[in-house]
Amino acid sequence: MKDFLSRSFRNRLFAAFLVVSLVPLLICSALLLQTFRLRLTNDVNAEAREHLDTVSRVMDALYDDFARAAALAENPLIAAALAGDGAEGTQVYNVLFDATEGLRGYARFDLYDAGGRWRYSTQTAPEDTLLPTSWGVLYSASPSGGFLTFVAAEDVTVTQSPLLQGAVLIAGRDGETAGYLLISMYQNGFRQLLDGKYGAQNDLILLNRYWRPVYCAQPSLAASLAPRLRLQLLDGQPLNGASEDFLYSVAYHPPTGLYIILQKPQVFTRGTMNILYAVSLSSALICILFSILMSLQLSRQMFYPIKKLHRAIGEVANNNLDAYVPHNRKDELGQLADRFNGMMVALKHNQEQLVENQQELNAAQIRMLQAQLNPHFLCNTLDTMKWISKINKVPQVALMSTNLADILRFCISPDEFVPLYREVEILQRYMEIQNIRLSDAFAFQLILPIELESCLVPKMILQPIVENAILHGLEGVGNGGVKVEASQPQPGLLQITIADNGRGLPAEMVGRYGDRNRDSCRGHLGLYNIDTILRKHYGAGFGLYLSNRKDGPGAVVTATLPMRVEEDALC
Amino acid sequence: MPKKRPCALLALLASGVMLLTGCRSVSSGDGGAAFAPDESCRLVVYTSHKREVYWPIIKEFEERTGIWVEIVEGGTNEILNRIAREAGSPAADVMFGGGVESLESYKDCFTPYRCSEADSIQPRYRAPDDLWIPFSSLPVVLIYNAKLIDPGQVTGWADLFDARFRGKIAFADPGKSGSGFTGLVTLLEAVEGNQEDVLRAFADALANRQLDSSGLVLTTVAEGSNLVGVTLEETALQRIAAGDDIVLIYPDDGTSCVPDGNALVKGAAHKDNAQLFLDFTVSHDVQQMLAERFYRRSVRADVEPAANLAVQEDILLIDYDVAWASRNHDSILTSWIFCLGAEGTP
Repeated sequence: MKDFLSRSFRNRLFAAFLVVSLVPLLICSALLLQTFRLRLTNDVNAEAREHLDTVSRVMDALYDDFARAAALAENPLIAAALAGDGAEGTQVYNVLFDATEGLRGYARFDLYDAGGRWRYSTQTAPEDTLLPTSWGVLYSASPSGGFLTFVAAEDVTVTQSPLLQGAVLIAGRDGETAGYLLISMYQNGFRQLLDGKYGAQNDLILLNRYWRPVYCAQPSLAASLAPRLRLQLLDGQPLNGASEDFLYSVAYHPPTGLYIILQKPQVFTRGTMNILYAVSLSSALICILFSILMSLQLSRQMFYPIKKLHRAIGEVANNNLDAYVPHNRKDELGQLADRFNGMMVALKHNQEQLVENQQELNAAQIRMLQAQLNPHFLCNTLDTMKWISKINKVPQVALMSTNLADILRFCISPDEFVPLYREVEILQRYMEIQNIRLSDAFAFQLILPIELESCLVPKMILQPIVENAILHGLEGVGNGGVKVEASQPQPGLLQITIADNGRGLPAEMVGRYGDRNRDSCRGHLGLYNIDTILRKHYGAGFGLYLSNRKDGPGAVVTATLPMRVEEDALC
Repeated sequence: MPKKRPCALLALLASGVMLLTGCRSVSSGDGGAAFAPDESCRLVVYTSHKREVYWPIIKEFEERTGIWVEIVEGGTNEILNRIAREAGSPAADVMFGGGVESLESYKDCFTPYRCSEADSIQPRYRAPDDLWIPFSSLPVVLIYNAKLIDPGQVTGWADLFDARFRGKIAFADPGKSGSGFTGLVTLLEAVEGNQEDVLRAFADALANRQLDSSGLVLTTVAEGSNLVGVTLEETALQRIAAGDDIVLIYPDDGTSCVPDGNALVKGAAHKDNAQLFLDFTVSHDVQQMLAERFYRRSVRADVEPAANLAVQEDILLIDYDVAWASRNHDSILTSWIFCLGAEGTP
């Protein structure tokens, strides 16, 4: 169960739906069923009690009538007639008919003498005119004036025979038995008395005090039902166990010693119960079905967007900032997708902004570097100085100021990239100045193949390197020389080497310039700037490479940059 | 999800289902239980009698004593087997009915009781050890079809061996019918000769044919498919009273008068009531009623047989040893089956 629930969210949803739908359904069904059953059973019991009371009242009245009729046993005329002293038959009949007035429709009244011989009757003579006095009803005859005792017939299914008989002893003058008054009830009598008193759907059974059948509204019940009821009673089982289809109610009628049993059709028959159970079961099944469908539907609704979101996040992880989660929902999941999409837009914008900023920063840096060499007014001043020196015939000052002015003009020009020949030209101006300054202390050699002349390079990248070689490499060196050579080591690549024959580089400076940290380059700001400019423009793969010459003393600075010609018009 | 929750869920569902189904027994109508009689007012009677015999007696007993009687009915052997099976905790209090030979064979299941009416019972019917109490005397008689046989042609057992009747004798299988067995033993006692020879001769007279039940003896004789039959007086008289055209004779070479009886079951739960019942079965009233209504010959000395019954003195009785018959029940039957199957052999 736990595994089942923890395996998937869908299972948990299903279980939750199942509980939420099934539990109230079961409780409702059970409560309804019980209420219904209790209510109906109470009604049925009340109705049964009412019927039983009615029948009891009828029986009471009957017993009272019989008891009144039995009073004729005390009539001396009757005793005398039965003793055979010659009383008139009509007198006896008169007494008999008077006493049984109104009862003869229900019962038969016979007078037997002391030997059990039949003598008088309210009806025609019986088949058997001799009854044993030591057996059966005459044996059980109660003394006159006492309670009437009734005896059931041996076989109540023989409806022509009396079903219930009661006998009263008729005492003679001296107290001896003169005869018997026999009261016999037949099937018809019971029917007349009881029909319509116990409900049309019900059946009535009268049992004697030992629960043997006396009268059954349906004679067949005497053999089928009565023994079962008796067995239930003796086994201490509820009477309702005798049949699944009926309910039984009992009342005892003390005067006659009879038990009145009412058989009512079962309110909740097996069929009814089956229908109710089937309905409950079907509802439960429908609940289960709905739970499954709902959990499937809901989980699909939840999982589909979550799956899309999951896929989009995967794309982001793979650096695709164009990931987008399409949806058309307005619920929480829709909002989540919106947030995600919004987040992606913001992220992308931020990154673009970042790149743009970086580029702007780079440009600013480059511009600032260039600005450091851009004092405008110096050019004009230098031009003025050139003319004054020419007037005053100081040719060296004129040359120097001309060269310096060219260099400065070159510096303040707006072009960031210049053809290599221009760069080299300015380098030559610079070298002329240095030659005058240092009194031709070193040689300058330039090798520029003609096909490389028009290659575009960032302006003013050679001068700081050469200046660095003169200031640091050739200081104090006699016959110093600087050689600048442009070459194409492989297609698309331009390499410019500046070699000197000076003291060479200390070992810690040899290698790629860009690999060291900035602080260690503090003394070589020129080299640092050039390297930064190259890398910013062309990427990290380009820049300066510092080494010592293999063929003698001196350092070599190699600048590597992509080959671009003027027509490319990169900038 | 906490571990307990599924259990709680299941419990909830289970209680729901129980609510739905579990209250069937709440329904009313068990009011009868209050009327159930006390144990001291009960009696369980196992009977092999037919309903027409036991029912009036039981009913009268209930009316007179106020004791509730539970009746279990069945064939003699079936009922006795059941009593033997239940010997550990007997359900029965009284065995009512069954030939005394049968009761004798199950003597371990019964306990002796000398009934209050013992002195009124004819001594020859009484059990020497009071293990059973005789109920009615049942002489073995011969019957013949009054239309097909002239009076005087059948007078005793010896006549059965006459060639005229060969294959026309109605006789119930003694292995199945108690009266058949009593008839066979009576025949052995009444007819002179070695037991084996008599059995073989009788088997030959039957032409190897016997009937499945004692009832068929009366039926086949009455309808003429058999000419003579061996049965009990009481059964024959009832059929005669019912109008069958058959004649009953008491064999002039002697017959038996073996009673059926009742016995007190050993370890009976309602022993006092059982004794009351046993007393009642041999009371004058019951015996009188038996004689008048069922043509049964009373075991009491003071009850005269019905008017149409021969007086006891007119019946020639052989010496029938119940104990011997009971002891040799199986061996006699084995011999009989052997003889019956050996028909035609020299």
